[in-house]
Amino acid sequence: MKKGTYGLLAALLLVALFATACGGAAEPKECADDPLGCAVVAKGDTIKIGYAGPTQGEYSAFGTDISQGGLIAIDDFGEFNGFQFELVIEDTGGAPEGGAAVANKFISEPSMVAIAGHTFSGSTEAAIPIYDDAGFPMLSPSATNPSLTEMGSLVFNRIAFTDTVQGINAAEYIYNKLGATKIAVMHDGGAYGQGLAEIVKSEFEKLGGEVVAFEAITPGETDYSAPLAGIAALEPEVLYFGGYDADAAVLKNQMASSGLEGVTFFSDDGCFGQNFLDLTGENSEGTIATSLIPPTSPEKEAFDAAYEERWGDPPGTLSPFTWNGYDIVAALISVAKDVAIEQGGNLYFPRSAMVEGVRGLEGYNGLSGVISCDATGECNTTGPTFYIAEGGKWVQAP
Amino acid sequence: MEKTASPKVRMPINTYKIVQVTIAVLFIGYLIWRIYALAVIEQVYGADSWLRFAVSGLILGSVYAVIAIGYTLVYGILFMINFAHGEIMMLGAYAGYFTLEALGSWIVDPAAGQAFLNANPVLSIVLAFAVGMTTSTIAGVFLEKIAYRPLRGAPRLVPLISAIGASIFLQNAAQLIFSPRRRDYLNPDILTRNTGWTVVVNSKDVVITYTGVFTFVLSIILLIVLYTIVQRTRMGRAMRAVAEDKKTAALMGIDVDGVISRTFAISGAMGGAAGVMWGIHNGIIYHYVGFIPGLKAFTAAVLGGIGNLPGAMLGGMVLGIVEATGPAILGIPFQLKDVIAFSILVLVLIFRPSGILGEVLTEEKV
Repeated sequence: MKKGTYGLLAALLLVALFATACGGAAEPKECADDPLGCAVVAKGDTIKIGYAGPTQGEYSAFGTDISQGGLIAIDDFGEFNGFQFELVIEDTGGAPEGGAAVANKFISEPSMVAIAGHTFSGSTEAAIPIYDDAGFPMLSPSATNPSLTEMGSLVFNRIAFTDTVQGINAAEYIYNKLGATKIAVMHDGGAYGQGLAEIVKSEFEKLGGEVVAFEAITPGETDYSAPLAGIAALEPEVLYFGGYDADAAVLKNQMASSGLEGVTFFSDDGCFGQNFLDLTGENSEGTIATSLIPPTSPEKEAFDAAYEERWGDPPGTLSPFTWNGYDIVAALISVAKDVAIEQGGNLYFPRSAMVEGVRGLEGYNGLSGVISCDATGECNTTGPTFYIAEGGKWVQAP
Repeated sequence: MEKTASPKVRMPINTYKIVQVTIAVLFIGYLIWRIYALAVIEQVYGADSWLRFAVSGLILGSVYAVIAIGYTLVYGILFMINFAHGEIMMLGAYAGYFTLEALGSWIVDPAAGQAFLNANPVLSIVLAFAVGMTTSTIAGVFLEKIAYRPLRGAPRLVPLISAIGASIFLQNAAQLIFSPRRRDYLNPDILTRNTGWTVVVNSKDVVITYTGVFTFVLSIILLIVLYTIVQRTRMGRAMRAVAEDKKTAALMGIDVDGVISRTFAISGAMGGAAGVMWGIHNGIIYHYVGFIPGLKAFTAAVLGGIGNLPGAMLGGMVLGIVEATGPAILGIPFQLKDVIAFSILVLVLIFRPSGILGEVLTEEKV
């Protein structure tokens, strides 16, 4: 009996040894050298890029829009030596636990080469350690919380400018250009909105201004008249809001009837976009927002046309991030094409080379500006642009 | 032996009573101190601010009341919480939105470029409500047929789970059908949002919006009409009979299934009206728009005494006003308004477990 068991074990061991030896032989040398191994795409399979963001539920507009931009990039650049790139879209609900769950799913996929995401800072923060261990490079379109690049992660990069840069610029603009000395600051309590609001508050006070109110609202509601009336009693000159377009639109719509008529509404790149204008109509007049969208270019026009043809609505209807969605997927595809090794009909992507390749992006021309990653993973070099709503359009602010 | 035992019987130490009284004293004491502090020490908010808070609260409260009626009616008859009621409201809001959009793009006077919407504003509003309420009524009746009727004899928890499932299903169906985009309600010019009568209080302008007054007045009318239906008509009597005892009502010749269907129809119509009002007053709707108001209205129904119609109305109004003025009175961030609302709920349940007005539609207890 005992002898039989040992015999069986020995046979199994031999088979296992043989199998690994065979597998190893087919892999290129780079994979054996790479401490993280390779992503392998067998013949007939697709090269996968993962997108993780809210595609269902309350914030589904963001995830849907960014992934739709990304799918256009797949249309444009998705062919590679007979292989096809594929964007795998998974829903995080925008929440940290959803982000971790999707990250764990993605790292178990051998033909996944890179992650276009995540969307929302909280979800991204939860996912970074998981991708760090597995060696999956990330390029986020919209996670802007400053702390994300301060975690020492090798895999995390983003093309959105940080909230620190945006907040400091916004506070300076309000103090110097608008000449306001008394402002009220509101936020939606999220990692993005609150982080931004705190930076604006501290920077504005540093400049010598006074912040008369610092209020949080519950996002997703459609009536904020009570908190606005509370702020009106403190008579600010400018109302700064850190958060996203849907809540910003509700605030802007209700400002005039809550006693804040004539007070400038100032918001962020989460607010900027056609959606805000659609939701506020004539009320939008005079709103100032920051944005990472550069002036129009032939490439941007081509994308806009392709987007409208494929998805029905013009880009920017759902969120302000669709151009970033296109850029991240396009940039990741370009890195993957550089790194790919073809052997025996299969494609191999050494994971360390992918991670270094994304961090090493230099002078890549995207729709949203030039993408050049620094040592911490900040890839946006353009900084924010200020736009003002005039006659139902966003025009560059003076 | 008897002498030592009898005082114990006469003076039992009621811990629950002590907890009740302590909480009441602490709460009322704190409230008085806060009001004193607001009026004398801080004086952050003038009369104009208080008027704005009150107006905002009354409008919000009146919509909560109309939604809460839907919960309370169904609860009174079936003893189940129809958690998909918020989604019924959302469907009504979308139906009203598409009606107004259609009327807004139907040009009746090409010379002036005037659309039907502004040529016949009153008729347009009536049409929007008619379509919104019809859609929600149909949705409500089908919801009952599909999600609740097959589970009529099942344990109480089962239809509740089914209701939550229906709620999630309807949210996602709406997202897929209507896209996750948020939509801006198209109002006729006479009901332009955020414009209204200006009242000067404390030498400051306070705007009382047209849409707010419209919403408030319409809510009150709807509540009175509904109350009359339940109290004065044959159908209302049948509903109350079924609420009291289904078996006996059936023996008396009442079509119980029919009454339940009609209850869901009425509850759906109220939800639809609330959805269109929400759209007209607040302007923005999306597939999730019914969720939070639905939860709040459920709270309002419990607050007033679930199963009780005047209770739901009162609960809605109280909740709206508490949400709007609570943070200012207590001097805490406005984001904590839900904490205040739910704290009030807890307090009411401690002192009056059956809600402010108690349960009167039926005698049967949970």
